[in-house]
Amino acid sequence: MRPRSPNIQNYRPQLTSVLSIANLITALISTVALVAFVAWLVAAALRPSSYGALHAAAVSPIGRALLVIATFAFFLHLCGSIRHLFWDAVVGFELRSIYASGWVAVAASIVLTAAAWLVGRFVKG
Amino acid sequence: MIIHSSSQVSRFRLLRRFPLPRGFGILRESRIDPGRHWPAPAGAKRTKTFQIYRYDPESGRNPRLDTFEVDFDECGPMVLDALIWIKSKVDSSLTFRRSCREGVCGSCAMTLDGTNWLACTRFITEMASPASVYPLANFPVIKDLVPDQTHALAQYSMIEPWLKASEPPPQQHERLQSVADRKQLDGYYECILCFCCTSGCPSHWWNGDRFLGPAVLLQAWRWLADSRDDAKGERLDALEDPFRLYRCHTILNCTRTCPKGLNPGKAIAEIKKMMLERTL
Repeated sequence: MRPRSPNIQNYRPQLTSVLSIANLITALISTVALVAFVAWLVAAALRPSSYGALHAAAVSPIGRALLVIATFAFFLHLCGSIRHLFWDAVVGFELRSIYASGWVAVAASIVLTAAAWLVGRFVKG
Repeated sequence: MIIHSSSQVSRFRLLRRFPLPRGFGILRESRIDPGRHWPAPAGAKRTKTFQIYRYDPESGRNPRLDTFEVDFDECGPMVLDALIWIKSKVDSSLTFRRSCREGVCGSCAMTLDGTNWLACTRFITEMASPASVYPLANFPVIKDLVPDQTHALAQYSMIEPWLKASEPPPQQHERLQSVADRKQLDGYYECILCFCCTSGCPSHWWNGDRFLGPAVLLQAWRWLADSRDDAKGERLDALEDPFRLYRCHTILNCTRTCPKGLNPGKAIAEIKKMMLERTL
């Protein structure tokens, strides 16, 4: 058998490939977060003690960190998928646009995550 | 950092490769062993270090990574010149394909510093230190930097890359096209089939047995976009498959790496759009 030349072991990570794999990973995180959200609703409907336990876990430092990651993953997946909608209409395929829209997606998801948490703070009062 | 053209070398040096073990997913016969060091000839003032993938099928040994010190003052400006210098001055067994030395034949496509490009159009000064030279990613290796393109070319023949007209050509002249129709082929007919894009496509790494890959799909679009071709339905039928066309997830490593500055990602999107439009 002939050897095969290395692919991912040697190929340089680029915005193109990194955001593509990020779209997959953020989809996975968002799906898990959705299950957690449903569990939270069920616990709230069930009885105060089960809701209290879940709430305590959610506001713990680790719980908060996971929620921030989940929010960021949700927004990055949202922004990344909007890029795909444009590509499906054959819009934005110049290399310049590919890179510009990629960085905009990253920046926008950071801003949206911060905004979501700030609004959450504000609404809670 | 915004990349404006595929010829731009990334200045981002932090992450040269994905944080995975070197042997990740690699079969025993493909594992790369450390190789030998070939010092610069005596008297060389300015040298450049090249790490080059070596494989000799007759040795029965695994591929190795040899280190060569190239005399920068003695050889030409391109990576291909450095390879030719090594072959003629240091190790005559170094094997690679090359022909035109000006980026029109596509023979010397290689993975240079982790991205695919033609050795003849990449300046040595654009290379990292040490410079890394591998055969095209994810291809079976015949010897050293010579990839086996049998499978990629078989996929190319699958799309039947020739004009299929329902009528015989006119007696007096060739088949004519309007200027606007001819324009539809710009950006696609220039493809030299070096397979840099297919070799850089992660979808083709994981599903290359059934996914046709960007180079072949760009060629498929070149014929779909040709006003003289009458086999559009037939061609689309052959591509309508979960793997052949739709394994493209618009990663766009192809457009980033094309040494001719073409846009295989866009060509594939055009095929997907045409596929959708014919059902409407």
